[in-house]
Amino acid sequence: MNAESTTGDDADATGRDGNTVEDEIDAAATAVGSVWPVHSFVTANPLAGFEDRPFDEAVSRAAGLLGGRGYPRAKTFRAALDEGRIAPELLDAELTDRGYDADPEALLERLETAEETDESGGAGGTEGAAPAAERVDRVLTKWLSAFLDEGRAEWAMPNREAGFYEAFRSVAAYDDEIPNTGLAADLPASPIEAIEAALAPYPRDRWEAVFEAQFAALPGWTGLLTQRAEDGGAWQSAYPITPAGYLAARLALADAFGVDLSPPEESDGPAVEPSDEIADAFLSAWEATYRDGLVERVAAEGEARDRGSEARGKDGGRADGGASGRPDAQLVFCIDTRSEVIRRHVEATGDYETHGYAGFFGVPMEYTGYDTDVSVEACPPIVDPQHRVSEVPGDDDARASRDRWADLREAAGEVVQTLRSNPATAFSFVEGAGSGYGLALAARTLVPGRVRDLLAGADDAVPDDHEFCEPGVHEHDASNEGLPTGLTRDERVEYAATAFELMGWEAFGRLVVFAGHAAETANNPYDSSLDCGACAGNPGGPNARALAAICNDSEVRAGLRERGIDVPDDTVFLAAEHNTTTDEIELYDGDVPDSHAADLERLRADLDAARGRAARERTGQEAEESAVRETERRAADWAETRPEWGLAGNAGFVVGPRELTSGLDLDGRVFLHSYDWSTDPDGDALEAILTGPMVVTQWINAQYYFSTVDNAAYGSGSKATHNPVGNVGVYQGNGGDLMTGLPLQSVKAAAGEPYHQPLRLSTVVHAPVDRVTEVLADNEAVTGLLDNDWLSLTVVDPTRDHRAFEYEEELAWAPVPEAAESHAEPRTAPAVADD
Amino acid sequence: MSGRTSKPTVGALRETAESSAAPVALTRLAWTLFAASVAALVAHVRLGGPWEIPGAVAVDGLTVLLWVVATFFSGIVHSYSRRYMAGSAHETDFFLGVFGFTLAVMALVAADHVALFWCFWLAMGLLMARLIGTVDGWPQARAAASVARRYFLASSALLGVAVTALWWATGATTVSGIAAGADALGGPAWLVAGAALVLAAMIQSALVPFHGWLLSSMTAPTPASALMHAGFVNAGGILLTRFAPVVTVETGLMLAIVVVGAASALAGKLLKTVRSDVKGELGCSTVGQMGFMIVQAGLGFFAAAVTHLVLHGFYKAYHFLSAGDEVEHAAPSEDGHEPDGTGVAGAVVVLATGVAGGATFALLTGKGTSVDSGLLLAGFVTLTTLHAARSAVRRTGLSTAARYGAVPLVALPAIAVYALAYRAVSGLLAGLPLVSAPTELTALHALVAVAFLAAYVGIETGVHERSERLYVALTNAGQPAPDTVLTATEEYDER
Repeated sequence: MNAESTTGDDADATGRDGNTVEDEIDAAATAVGSVWPVHSFVTANPLAGFEDRPFDEAVSRAAGLLGGRGYPRAKTFRAALDEGRIAPELLDAELTDRGYDADPEALLERLETAEETDESGGAGGTEGAAPAAERVDRVLTKWLSAFLDEGRAEWAMPNREAGFYEAFRSVAAYDDEIPNTGLAADLPASPIEAIEAALAPYPRDRWEAVFEAQFAALPGWTGLLTQRAEDGGAWQSAYPITPAGYLAARLALADAFGVDLSPPEESDGPAVEPSDEIADAFLSAWEATYRDGLVERVAAEGEARDRGSEARGKDGGRADGGASGRPDAQLVFCIDTRSEVIRRHVEATGDYETHGYAGFFGVPMEYTGYDTDVSVEACPPIVDPQHRVSEVPGDDDARASRDRWADLREAAGEVVQTLRSNPATAFSFVEGAGSGYGLALAARTLVPGRVRDLLAGADDAVPDDHEFCEPGVHEHDASNEGLPTGLTRDERVEYAATAFELMGWEAFGRLVVFAGHAAETANNPYDSSLDCGACAGNPGGPNARALAAICNDSEVRAGLRERGIDVPDDTVFLAAEHNTTTDEIELYDGDVPDSHAADLERLRADLDAARGRAARERTGQEAEESAVRETERRAADWAETRPEWGLAGNAGFVVGPRELTSGLDLDGRVFLHSYDWSTDPDGDALEAILTGPMVVTQWINAQYYFSTVDNAAYGSGSKATHNPVGNVGVYQGNGGDLMTGLPLQSVKAAAGEPYHQPLRLSTVVHAPVDRVTEVLADNEAVTGLLDNDWLSLTVVDPTRDHRAFEYEEELAWAPVPEAAESHAEPRTAPAVADD
Repeated sequence: MSGRTSKPTVGALRETAESSAAPVALTRLAWTLFAASVAALVAHVRLGGPWEIPGAVAVDGLTVLLWVVATFFSGIVHSYSRRYMAGSAHETDFFLGVFGFTLAVMALVAADHVALFWCFWLAMGLLMARLIGTVDGWPQARAAASVARRYFLASSALLGVAVTALWWATGATTVSGIAAGADALGGPAWLVAGAALVLAAMIQSALVPFHGWLLSSMTAPTPASALMHAGFVNAGGILLTRFAPVVTVETGLMLAIVVVGAASALAGKLLKTVRSDVKGELGCSTVGQMGFMIVQAGLGFFAAAVTHLVLHGFYKAYHFLSAGDEVEHAAPSEDGHEPDGTGVAGAVVVLATGVAGGATFALLTGKGTSVDSGLLLAGFVTLTTLHAARSAVRRTGLSTAARYGAVPLVALPAIAVYALAYRAVSGLLAGLPLVSAPTELTALHALVAVAFLAAYVGIETGVHERSERLYVALTNAGQPAPDTVLTATEEYDER
């Protein structure tokens, strides 16, 4: 029996506060934000554990515990001010609100002084302060990296199946780096016993504070292990670890090394430092400047749209689903900010409607690809997977050819692996293979684009999985353990209907494309951070294929009809995957009937054209062809640390019909979710969007924010010194704690020069204010985030002449003054005249 | 609407700036040096050498070969870093360091005067230590640089002792002069010089127990690590090759070299098995590979050692530069050794393939054709081919042709390519005082062979994994120096 799972019983047995200790441990563990394995990087708020507090208070508490900055540096604010990104009058207002009337420059200098004292005092304090505690950290990181390893080391840590505490107990007996004194010399059998023994000298009411401080000491590894313990998963079931087991090992080591565990006293000072207050004013003004520009444009487009719909019919303009003007195709993209760029260009190539929907396409599945034993949770981390979906192979020839190749490759890989790992064969292997490596070295460094062409050619010769597999969404089977396999008819109808209801669809074109997205990068441990966030850091193609298969199902169509969604017989759904690095959109068109071949051909040509334009915009190169080549080079180049900018720059989230934004260039900074208030009378769709996608976008936004303001504490530093460990994370240099968050190159153009503008998310919703209020009243968690200033919410109310209302707190709204001019927003063209 | 090309922009992001001129210029210069080195190599082959400034510089076959190799790696690292280091605050510093290091290596292999040789040896070490500490605002990087610097100063001091003793004993002030007078060497002066040379080489090549600096050096930017593992650590082998006439004076010293090399080869590979961090694994692997290279030198095959360090350089540089690829989503394996599907016919094929591999090697390289230490090297090749064939034959899922044919089809040409490289290197080094001095087989050689065979069987059966004590010892032995480990990530400094 493993010790990790018996902790609860033992706690009861020891009596007294046993259960409370467990509860306190769990509560204390939340101070450290979850860290997901880097192979499925989830963009989450590193300060998620503090979201129940106001933002300013949270960052200052986190600074005390985790040592990270909470606000951008004065230098960043100064640059924003100089570039006109902070409107002086808005800054003035924010400063006055907080009781500062000094000149902004003087205040920035004050910020700089505060930064300097922080750094000299802070860094010096942690560096030499507690060598004993550092020793504890070193021993722990050594064994954590061994225990949490997911298949990297050839010789894995012994006794892992017994759980972390037990495995640690057993290696500790041989580890001469652990002094043979105190608790470590004779570790109790149960973790809770060890914890209680270690903390006996400390007052009982301080224990939780001790726990919190101890968890916060190695936030990278702790975040990973608490996430793993909570999430379950294959590795956790095979080799369990619990926060209590970890804490027990830690406290025993602390005892052995003689570390004083007294938690820091709660400071009596103000909850928020004055320098943070000033920074908060600058940040708020910066956000307000951006937000005002966005809201104003959206409101103006909304008004123009109203006017347009009155005039519609005469000019036969682009009908929104009107029977007369059926679009050439409808394409649904993820709400991801990168979709904004490609959507703009796709729309420009023809009569295409594009929509934004969460990139897991509403199918919460645990997905298993063809011929693999790894399954991934292909849905946002706030949603639990409900179905197990695997690829069901069909076509025998293609499958056989693919299998032959895969077997050969696997065999070759295994031979190389076994030769490399045996001391008697590794040397001759290197001598035999060395020349080949020399050639590869030169080719990948000097002509990365050519290497990509070569590999793509070889890849094309072998059928892709989607060419002979069907996503297994149909066969429902709940008989096995755990999640049911496949979906029932009702579930299929439900997911299809939800998609169209949330997006407010009433009409369908001949082709409807669900485009998931994935990045293509080389030599990048963080490639999953560029994949679909709504699919928990996985490619979105499988989800798109699942929904397309669902919608093409005649049973589902019948079900949809019962719910009032009439999909014409000639509508064909197909899936696609948008390669966000090269902007290529691959259509999974194997099942499209011949009747639609012409439509498909045109769509393909147009997507190709759109890709060229998008590549030109993203690379800044003049010629489309060289721009496309450049994006391909970035995708394949092993020396490229910035293959694409991912979601860097994200600042806004617009919930409403595409017409509100289709006339704008939002520079890939805005999440877009399609929504039509007029088809959602009871606000259900709105509620689903505000409690789902909005929360996920806020997580992503917070991740980019904190990775930018403190790339050491909340980000993962420069890729140049990264050292991937155990398939789960990345070290800086030789080892120690895991780095969390995004690499420096994902958020900065150069050292000290943020590319991402650290702004909290500005959400703009196109719906009646009262309906939004009702939704918020029912959802405390979301309202809490808003009340605590983790993001802002502005409503453009179509029932009140598209006037804007800003959420204040406690469900109160303030009208945004009509005259909110486009301030000093750079490069903003004068308002398109609607008069 | 499709005619609209520019739409009103909301909150456009800033355009990104371009970087400085030094990287571009230095990269061009590095490739120019490569071209010049190739020209020098061709000239050497055509015209013969050596060219020298008597008493100071001598450009021989080893020099031109290493010029080509060093400038190739340098060029690759420069080109790679153009993109990889873009935007780093240390970009210019880094390029200057890498380029300076390249020059130091080129000068070292051309130096003939022992004082020059020693100076460039020291300079090379100090420059590498600087590269390890490139991110100078980061305390752990500074600590790692200073660990490395201490080791390199020690190796320079040992080299100083060695050349002083040799100068005292032979009266010669040049490497070539010492080599010429080596026959007369003996006694305590030779012993001091020989031991100091071997120790200096061990430190430089990060042999156990001097591997600490290498396993603490991952604070270096990846391309600097590539240069270190492909170039810098090789200097131990080059040192022994340059002073081959000195170290071969007594077979006892050669045997000692074989033993320390073999110990490192096995220890490095064992250390690697427990590591879960990619660069740490690669570091341990280098410790092992350098051990093997030193074994080749100790067996008297200096050309083989030089060939190995060049080919290993390609291999290791590639793996460092692609370290970021080493993250995969794996499933916990139901550990259980695969069934033995070899069968009698399979066993015959496996054996035949192995013997064919060893024979090809022996015929094409000449190593192992007579009864001397070369047999050991041919034995390694036989075992490797045999092992590869065995694991392919066991894959019953493959087609028969692939199972039995693929390994010979790939392995034999690979051995031929190696032989070609070895022949070319031997040819180039022909002008050196001593490049091939196979030693007689002794009981110790047999012991080394047995140790490798035991390791082979151990790893194959996993019998060593029964010892938890060994696991802990290996884990601890591979740990980086304590103050080079980043336990509080907020201390990391690279804005």
